[in-house]
Amino acid sequence: MSGAFLFGVCTVASSVAVQWVIDRVVVPRFEVGDVATSTIVAGCALIIGIGILRATGVVIRRSFAGMTQWRIAESLTNEVTERYIEQPASWHRRQSEGQLVARAGVDVDTTVGVMAPIPFALGTILMVVVAAIWLIATDVVMGVAAVAVFPVLMVANVMYQHRVDRHFDDAQQALGTFAGAVHESFEAVQLVKAYGAGQRETERLSHLAGVIRDARVRAVHLRGTFESLLEMIPSLTNIGLVVLGASRVQSGNVTIGELSGFIYMFTLLVFPLRLVGYALSELPHSYAGYARLRETLDDPFDPDPVAAIGTTTGDVAVRVAHVSFAHTGEPGPVVIDASVEILTGSVTAFVGPTGSGKSTLIDLLAGLLKPTAGSIDLVDGQRTVVFQEAFLFGGSVRDNVRVSEHLDDAQVWEALRLACAADFVSELPDALDTLVGERGVTLSGGQRQRIALARALARRPDLLLLDDTTSALDPATELAVLANLRSSLTKTTVVMVASRPSTIALADDVLFVEQGRIVAHGPHEQLMSEVDAYRHLVEAFETDRSRLPGTGDEFGSATRPNLGGVS
Amino acid sequence: MTEPMGRFSATSTISRGLEEAPVLRQGLGLTWLLAACGAGGRVVVPIVVQQAIDRGIVGSDDSIDVHMRFVVWCALIGVAAQLAAAVCQRAAIVRLGTRSEQALNDLRARLIGHIHRISLADHNEERRGALVARVTSDIETLADFFRWGGLAWLIDGTLMIIVAAVMLAYNWLLALIAIGISIPLFFVLRVVQRYLVAAYDRSRERNGNMLATVTELVSGAETIRAYDAGDMFAGRTQLAVKGRADSQIHANIIGAFLFPLGEVFSVVTIATIVTVGVAIGPTGGLTAGALVGFIFLTYRFLEPIAEFTEVLDQTQTAVAGLRRVLTVLDIPVGPPPPETPRPLPPGRFDIDIDDVTFSYRSRSDSSTSDDIVLDRVSVHIPAGQQVAMVGATGSGKTTLGRLIARLADPIAGDIRLGGVPLVLVDDAELRHRLVVVAQEPFLFDDTVLANIQFARPGATRAEVDRIIDEIEVRDWIDSLPDGLDTRVGERGDSLSAGERQLVALLRAGVADPDVLVLDEATSSVDALTEVRTSRALAKLAAGRTTIAIAHRLSTAARADRVLVLEGGRLVEDGHHDDLVQAGGTYQRLFDAWLSATST
Repeated sequence: MSGAFLFGVCTVASSVAVQWVIDRVVVPRFEVGDVATSTIVAGCALIIGIGILRATGVVIRRSFAGMTQWRIAESLTNEVTERYIEQPASWHRRQSEGQLVARAGVDVDTTVGVMAPIPFALGTILMVVVAAIWLIATDVVMGVAAVAVFPVLMVANVMYQHRVDRHFDDAQQALGTFAGAVHESFEAVQLVKAYGAGQRETERLSHLAGVIRDARVRAVHLRGTFESLLEMIPSLTNIGLVVLGASRVQSGNVTIGELSGFIYMFTLLVFPLRLVGYALSELPHSYAGYARLRETLDDPFDPDPVAAIGTTTGDVAVRVAHVSFAHTGEPGPVVIDASVEILTGSVTAFVGPTGSGKSTLIDLLAGLLKPTAGSIDLVDGQRTVVFQEAFLFGGSVRDNVRVSEHLDDAQVWEALRLACAADFVSELPDALDTLVGERGVTLSGGQRQRIALARALARRPDLLLLDDTTSALDPATELAVLANLRSSLTKTTVVMVASRPSTIALADDVLFVEQGRIVAHGPHEQLMSEVDAYRHLVEAFETDRSRLPGTGDEFGSATRPNLGGVS
Repeated sequence: MTEPMGRFSATSTISRGLEEAPVLRQGLGLTWLLAACGAGGRVVVPIVVQQAIDRGIVGSDDSIDVHMRFVVWCALIGVAAQLAAAVCQRAAIVRLGTRSEQALNDLRARLIGHIHRISLADHNEERRGALVARVTSDIETLADFFRWGGLAWLIDGTLMIIVAAVMLAYNWLLALIAIGISIPLFFVLRVVQRYLVAAYDRSRERNGNMLATVTELVSGAETIRAYDAGDMFAGRTQLAVKGRADSQIHANIIGAFLFPLGEVFSVVTIATIVTVGVAIGPTGGLTAGALVGFIFLTYRFLEPIAEFTEVLDQTQTAVAGLRRVLTVLDIPVGPPPPETPRPLPPGRFDIDIDDVTFSYRSRSDSSTSDDIVLDRVSVHIPAGQQVAMVGATGSGKTTLGRLIARLADPIAGDIRLGGVPLVLVDDAELRHRLVVVAQEPFLFDDTVLANIQFARPGATRAEVDRIIDEIEVRDWIDSLPDGLDTRVGERGDSLSAGERQLVALLRAGVADPDVLVLDEATSSVDALTEVRTSRALAKLAAGRTTIAIAHRLSTAARADRVLVLEGGRLVEDGHHDDLVQAGGTYQRLFDAWLSATST
């Protein structure tokens, strides 16, 4: 604020200085013929001194405005992201990721965007008031004439910004659509080539690009008109002031110096006035950004599902009692009255068609979702879950396995070995130190999944939940990982969603899930012989194979030694 | 400043850019003339002030004589000139704006057209983002340039020249002083500007870093919670956010110095001019009005310099953007279209693969033997045969499929369709007669129908319906919420992998090709869809030459003929029943596959 004030005062003062110099130095020299050197020096010192002061004012104002602006942005972003961390998964599932990122980024930026020009705008308004008083004090007639132009300029500017912004917003939106379409089209390149549709795609995208062009051309027309107008108004006023001033000089009300100073002052005010108009037109955007932020920040916390999970005793690791679950705002329940007990150290597979609710069951056990009815008790101790999509963050392989746990390299390697990841990790350029994540090395889906698995195994969990985790691995690796689990983590209870017959066969127990209900529970062989729907499903998994000509008998018994009776 | 070499390439980039966008050059002279007239308007006011004060108001300390008639005349001329200037300025802004937008639009279209014609090898996943950036953000740097920088060059540049000329006309000595002082100002501003650009680059980078961290936090929310890593991620994020804020503040402080520097220089200039002007005095031919007018002109002259330094950077950014755009236009189209195409024979045709070798074009010209993907492969495929190509990852089976579809050209040997060398077949005809169904078929964010019609935009709903019945997927279409009008979501996300395959098969059905190249999916598909897909495929393949790049050996087992590739060579060729007992590569693959998929 002090900088803004300094700037305002100095702007007025610089005009006074120019006027003083013209009256005391220039005019006397040319009209009278001589002027004292000391007066010249004083005049020059005055102009330079005030100019430097004014410049200092600008530096101070802008520096502090920037500091305030970005520190506020920092605390807003922190506040929002902390909110993201505290909100449980159920909340996150209702949000769009892109929107959440936009809140913390773009919306914060627009919110604080208005702050930079605020001190400037206040300073300018202060300056305008001081200048207006000075102008009117110099000469009432000329002063009133000049000051009357200020509101006209401000209004014209706000109007212009408001109208041109609409076109720019249109263009921005069109650009977004266009960029999305271009991305999609380039992603589809193979398809486009396969059908020789390059020309068609180019035309389609050009049409979208045309929308950007049209919006911008509209803005250009508006801009041409207003730029010329906003430049013309002060110039014409200036010329008018000269005529008016001449008559005031004639009537002896003002001196030539005062007239020049007056005109100079007026010129100095024009540019800041335009910027004030700009700042004012930014206010609505800024407010809209803040409103979106507020909405996210004020969204109440979802209850943490983990708090509702009880603990089991004895050799029961998982006890689910009459659990139902429905997504908020969606009509049908996804899980209906599920009850089951799972023994410590066992491997249980959830099997069912797509959309049967088996992944939701895992989410409920993992404490990511809260049952709408019923209760869940789990073994007391380390519980870890690995999701269908592996999440690796920007950091080294070691960081990704350890996360917040303190593990030494031997433990990390052991976990990687169990997850069948040790081989490829040791071949990475920097082994454990290799950076992964968005800016790191490119890993295949299976490799990412194995690192995510290692993260879970490194914790030597009492309960391990796998949501179709291993399907991203090739069948042989999947079997090897599951075998490692069995041999090394004997006390760990494993609950997994499985879709490959070979994986299902490894489980001690199978829960057959259909349309949200656990319809059967028992060993694989038992379900195969007793539950028709289950047998059909697993057979369907195998249709591919059963249709192989001439292989049914020759290979059947040899490759399925431990599962007699399955056809 | 830029090195001579860089400057040369900058000018050549610009002239090349003008060549690619001819709209821009048309009437550029007139636009400039209009801009010059518009800029002239800014000189009018100081002249009127000078004339009015100097010749209209003559007086000494005790008697002031004002020639009102003269002052009014001056003012009228001033108003007329200002009005004319405003009209010219508007015309210049509109002309430059419309033309540059049109030019950029043409450039976008040219780029997209070109990118769709370059070889698939130039389209890999890592470069896709870059290619999209060429068409969007790089063109945007040019648009920004035309919106601000281009206009500034045109108007401010002209204005400075006019002001300098007027100043020289008034008094050459004072004019040289003003111009002389502006030169160091320019260089000082350039230095500050350089720091500023570096600071902004850093803050942009930190901003990207911050957004990446936030994205990570949001997309990993479940894992973060499950692993109790909230504090760790909060710490990471705060660090990134603080880094961003610090760099912004730093850039802001540098920026705060930029504008006032011009201020300091202009007061120094004015003080110097007053001193020198007073020293010259009336004997040097100077008048009070001229000196006063000069003071105003000096402001007008120095004003655009600060802006110019910014414009210069924007210009550099735009030239860099243009250079990247031109680089893409320089990527050769591939495979090149034939100069004199030969028509394919009507009806079914044989496919001959003759001694074909392929290696992916490496950026460095020296392709070592390791890069060889296919090594002298020869096969004759009679019309109507169902062929399955099998082999481990990297065996070259996918590449061979692509070569047959001419998504790339072999580096040696040739492929003939019905006796016509593939390189001589017109692309439109080839795409009509031969269709590739990709492994992960791509779906546009549109309806199922629109995605099927992509194969042939003229295809009617009735035709699509006929194909649906033909390949027996009616029950699936009926199970969709809105049937054919169901929207598939981004990349077809609302459909399962198997369902996307079905859309791709329908698409191929609508295209009704003679040859079907099928890149089989590796991902597991739910059982019901799997059954549907196999059935649809069998129907679709009937009566056509089908080349399947098989990942499931069940597909191979059903084929008329199996081609086994290993390390880029064709190692086995025969029927499944024979190969499975031949004790070769195929038998090994088959055994491994069996044990993995069995229960």
